[in-house]
Amino acid sequence: MSAGAKSRRVKLPEEASVIFALLVLVGIVGALRPTFLKPENLLNLAASYSISALLAGCIVYLLSMGEIDLSFGWILNLSAVVAGLSMIAGVPVWIAIILGIGAGGFMGAINGVLTVVMRLPLIIVTLGTASIFQGLSLISNKSGSVVPTEKKLTENIFFRVLGGDIETPVPFILIFVVFAFLVLHLTLHKTRFGYRILAIGSNPEAARLAGIPTKKIKILTCTLMGVVSGIGGILFLGFRGAVDPSTGANLLLPVVAAAIIGGTPLSGGAGTVWGSLIGALIVGVIGVGIVFLGIDAVWSTLVTGLVIIFAIGVDQIVRVRKNRAS
Amino acid sequence: MTIKSRHSRFSAIAVVTALVFSASAVATPAQAAQKRLTIGFVVHVIGNPFIQQIVEAAQMAARDLNVKLLVTGPAGAEGDAQLTAVQNLAASGVDGIATSVPAASMVKGLNTIIKAGTPIVMFNGLGEGVNGPYVGEKSVESGRLLGKMVLEKIGGTTAKGDVIVGNCYPGFPVLENRQRGVLESLAKASGVKIIGPSDVKVDSAANFAAWQGLLAANPKALAMVGLCAPDVESIGKVNAAAKSSSAIGGGYDLTIGNLEALANGTAHISLGQTPFVQGYLPVQVLVDSIRNKIKINKPGFLDSGTEIVTATKVIEPFGSAPLTFKALQKMSASKAVTRKYYDPIVKGYIKDWQKNLKPIADESA
Repeated sequence: MSAGAKSRRVKLPEEASVIFALLVLVGIVGALRPTFLKPENLLNLAASYSISALLAGCIVYLLSMGEIDLSFGWILNLSAVVAGLSMIAGVPVWIAIILGIGAGGFMGAINGVLTVVMRLPLIIVTLGTASIFQGLSLISNKSGSVVPTEKKLTENIFFRVLGGDIETPVPFILIFVVFAFLVLHLTLHKTRFGYRILAIGSNPEAARLAGIPTKKIKILTCTLMGVVSGIGGILFLGFRGAVDPSTGANLLLPVVAAAIIGGTPLSGGAGTVWGSLIGALIVGVIGVGIVFLGIDAVWSTLVTGLVIIFAIGVDQIVRVRKNRAS
Repeated sequence: MTIKSRHSRFSAIAVVTALVFSASAVATPAQAAQKRLTIGFVVHVIGNPFIQQIVEAAQMAARDLNVKLLVTGPAGAEGDAQLTAVQNLAASGVDGIATSVPAASMVKGLNTIIKAGTPIVMFNGLGEGVNGPYVGEKSVESGRLLGKMVLEKIGGTTAKGDVIVGNCYPGFPVLENRQRGVLESLAKASGVKIIGPSDVKVDSAANFAAWQGLLAANPKALAMVGLCAPDVESIGKVNAAAKSSSAIGGGYDLTIGNLEALANGTAHISLGQTPFVQGYLPVQVLVDSIRNKIKINKPGFLDSGTEIVTATKVIEPFGSAPLTFKALQKMSASKAVTRKYYDPIVKGYIKDWQKNLKPIADESA
């Protein structure tokens, strides 16, 4: 190929391959069940997966740094419990929200400090802290659901919009999450903090020798994960109106899967925030597609696995093609 | 790689995926042939023997009533994943949905679906505030019954010693109610010290390990009482392994493993919550209400009854025909035998569900 032809080539975004995989999946489900493609359906279903998408967007930071957090589901849970119990105790809603997010940030910071002080990978530290956060949640909520009074939630404008009591053309939670993704993307790819994360993930020793304060960046990144998990908890509380002892228990797999499907490698040094959003949508479409197509529960786990492999396969084929072309 | 081969690869992958994805959808002959009602049936966990008994009963109801049944649910019990499954079913256009409600965070979402016109019936797990009927046991009362039976076996109100109580899913409302009932009954013996309630996990391997640990820590325990389906089988195995143990084992559900533990004397009491009724009745209620335009958009309680089973005694609810323990074991292993046994209940209690619908407060009375 000539240099002129190369320069005329339209540069596809990094996420082109996963977008293609998503479109193929949506096309298949939509072709077999056209009702799936109703805009109202798609928006509502996207809203249902928006919290796990948000977490996927942030776990990209940790994966880019070569780390993984196993505790964020329970940080989400405990943050929501803190906010919910504060509301029940009569704390003004906005302050309760700040307390919940603050609790999330605090838990994330604990993860970060333990990782740095104990010189252990985050995955090992969070094996323990996940259980601690879950235990604290169970103790706080007395093994029961935390349900702030309807009045608390319905009087607050944020929760009214979030819970759908005030109708918006696009679910508010979706708008919020897309905005959050924009911030996360810009932070990872356009700020010194983001570059440092990628540098640590690429080669921690080189990053340290280059003068990057690796310990501080690790603690800050873990704190950010905690804050985002705390925001997830608040969104959950507003969106669902309650938090249960099991809330967040099964978030780990879909969230990490979304980030990896989205194109963030486990090896660190690179990451795509927007890719994780598409990855979360792929995970969502698989879940929804299984129901729309009437695939029996007994088969659904197998089919989920096969379709994830398919999506990753399509992504990989497009990625290889793109790399060869460039 | 040539363009042709790339296209071929994509096409081949797309075709394979379409075939996988539509395996049941395309192959089902009913799709275009006739307009049958479609009922969604959402369970809180897939792969649990007791839940499977409920699913099988729902499938029997679907066959009897000529409706299509779509069964789904999350692999692990988690309310939000389950609510998403219910929302997906509603969005796909099913006519009605039966679901267990293990989490309070599902209530708001379920009521939104009901308000939009899709009727919902709950089973097995009650969501307080959901605008629909609930099919399940009287959870506190069944706990009281289990506690009373265990207490009788360990010496009545004069008993002295430790009783271990395990809850596989702390926070699950029905289990909390059972626990309340068990503790209420055991509290009648002032010499009984309760160990727990401990989290004994729902996964069968983790459940066994939890009970093993609890007995090892309390080797002189008078009894071990579980609240979930895997407990009786686990307790039986733990008792069998610890030869010195003479602890009374009690718990819930009539799975094959639990009945074996009763049969070999390693466990002693299991209360059934009539999975056949919990699976069949929600489908019947939905189909009747849709076909006959009966409004079911307010809370109500349909008792699924409590079965009392020991190695020597089987008491079935609703005045059903007497059963021997062996007949019960045979029934738990055969769908056809189960369907035949419950036929009078299908034609009576289940068919007349409107007469049997009680205020929701009766559930935890």
